[in-house]
Amino acid sequence: MPRVRKGAARTKARRRLLREARGYWGTRSRHKQQAKITLTRAGVFAFRDRRQRRRNMRRLWITRITAACRMRDSRYSRFINGIQRAGVLLNRKMLSEIAIADPKTFDRLVQMSEKALATA
Amino acid sequence: MPRQTTFRKSPEVTRNWHHVDASDRVLGRLAARIAVILMGKHRPDYTPHVDTGDFVIVTNAAKVVMTGRKAEHRVKTSYSGYPGGLRSVSYAQILEKHPERLVENAVRRMLPKSRLGRQMFLKLKVYRGAEHPHQAQQPVPLSL
Repeated sequence: MPRVRKGAARTKARRRLLREARGYWGTRSRHKQQAKITLTRAGVFAFRDRRQRRRNMRRLWITRITAACRMRDSRYSRFINGIQRAGVLLNRKMLSEIAIADPKTFDRLVQMSEKALATA
Repeated sequence: MPRQTTFRKSPEVTRNWHHVDASDRVLGRLAARIAVILMGKHRPDYTPHVDTGDFVIVTNAAKVVMTGRKAEHRVKTSYSGYPGGLRSVSYAQILEKHPERLVENAVRRMLPKSRLGRQMFLKLKVYRGAEHPHQAQQPVPLSL
């Protein structure tokens, strides 16, 4: 077996690593070992946060729907209960978008919800 | 309808002014309502990373009330570092001397402890008397 020299390959590997770590704070973007650790952690956070994003978005929609309901003297739990009894299939994302872009439609939704609760 | 969730950017936010008379209002309950408005959580376009809150003017801060015996019994303490250097001031005394501070602190502690939270706090204007210099902003009375 011929002896393999690592020099050029090592430099290349380090450059690739540091290119990935561009913009990190201090030595994290300059030193190979720091960059490596930080990149591994970044990957962990990215994986976790792609999952958490779904929960966090739902929380945001609920917060927004709550605000829209309170403006109309209702509350979130009451509104959702009524809207489900009324058979409305809109999800929370769409309800919150309606609340922002089209307040009149949201007025109607609250009315529908109240009506469904009154008849139930 | 857009498929993506709307996020407001700070220049897009139009901020209103609210006015509230603190006379005979319970301190903590009042502060909770005010904090929600400063954070912008009363608006359907609330965006967590942007200050979407409105301005709040509080007048008659000197007339807020505390329930039970909290005014006399709750004290703020500070320690000077010297032996026997513990000073304590009751809430009643603070209310008399710095009523603005009492309301401001109650609200501030209900806001997020972050850069954004400190920015939100700047939208709160508290005055001990019935007068305030923000007539030009046309504040709307806040229904509680």
